[in-house]
Amino acid sequence: MKVNYEGCAICDSTWGNVWEEVEGQRLFFCCSLCTVQFRGLVDRIKADTGWTHIDDLKIAGDRTGRTCRAQSNASEAEFRFAFNSEGKLRRFARASPEPAKS
Amino acid sequence: MTKCPACLVGFAKEDYPGLAEHLVESAGRSDPVHVRWLNQNLTRKKAGVEELIPRLRAFYDLNGASLETWITSHFITRFFGPRPHPFVSALQHPNRSTLLGYVYEHQHFLRQWVRSCAYIMARTDRPEVVRYELDNLSTEYGGFGPERPSHYELLLRMGEALGVDRSVVLATPPLPATARAIECWNDIAMHEHWTAAMAAMHSLELIAHRDLVREGASVHYFDPAILTGREIPDAAKAFLREGYEADVGHSEEALALVGRFSRTLDTVEEVQSTFLRSIDLFDDYLIARLERGESLES
Repeated sequence: MKVNYEGCAICDSTWGNVWEEVEGQRLFFCCSLCTVQFRGLVDRIKADTGWTHIDDLKIAGDRTGRTCRAQSNASEAEFRFAFNSEGKLRRFARASPEPAKS
Repeated sequence: MTKCPACLVGFAKEDYPGLAEHLVESAGRSDPVHVRWLNQNLTRKKAGVEELIPRLRAFYDLNGASLETWITSHFITRFFGPRPHPFVSALQHPNRSTLLGYVYEHQHFLRQWVRSCAYIMARTDRPEVVRYELDNLSTEYGGFGPERPSHYELLLRMGEALGVDRSVVLATPPLPATARAIECWNDIAMHEHWTAAMAAMHSLELIAHRDLVREGASVHYFDPAILTGREIPDAAKAFLREGYEADVGHSEEALALVGRFSRTLDTVEEVQSTFLRSIDLFDDYLIARLERGESLES
């Protein structure tokens, strides 16, 4: 899976030193909280779309609210989401029409 | 004394090299609280100790202004910037669940408020501080008889106007973020200098300060039009109006006392750090209000 940030896969920070494999890709995170957030987001996107994998995930925004564009094979979907302070999704909604199942 | 704004560990006065070393070391361990503080306040780009020292010095520098102005300015940046805190955005024109989330979580906050202010009174030797806290507690919790119920009572009445009996509200435990924040505020009130505890608690009353827009806030705590329109119940108007009218005086008077006594008692730096820790807790606590409200929607 490709991500858009060079730093932490959630917030682009380059502090910290957490490396985790997600969707077959070794990704950098600034802290364990961002790891929980990212894993929860990936699981939720897959559950929402029915995709078996995500090829590309581009995230934008900050703690006040984020959006992402996810891609799996030829399908794409956009979401709006926000986390609570334990890193769990407290809001998650589709920002684009439901994509075709891959 | 300087303190770490993320964990409140102490350093000698103006020991920014020591604080920088501590922050870099803690971020190297990927500690979420320290990483978050660095991300939100100094930089998202990893930096070395030598690079952080002047940044910290500049961050804590009052630049000739008062401590009260420094605190207010940082509070505005955190909660009332171009992208306001999500709870502030939701409260502009709140729906039922946002107001109920406020009720469920804030009753816990106000009960801690009493404990925090009581600790301040117990630990200060300044009569004007005791008088201030007594007045504040009367407004927030005690009330002034049936004609002027406390903010706590008005909160519970708002919940009842929204269809939730106070027995249900009072029996509901806080969400984890609220519980965590309350525990930390209790520790601050017990263990930090009373001037720092005062700053930690009463700076939070800036949230409802209606004049912050004049000082650069992008919005008010809520759109004042909701106090005169029909979109929220009268009991909700009464609760919000009380804060709107009381918190200008509460926050300004408290911060003036903090400014005055922190200068004479040489506690300015620990006041700054304790305030910074407190607004991180408050940020999470406000999210918990939203989270509670969102859980009631489903």
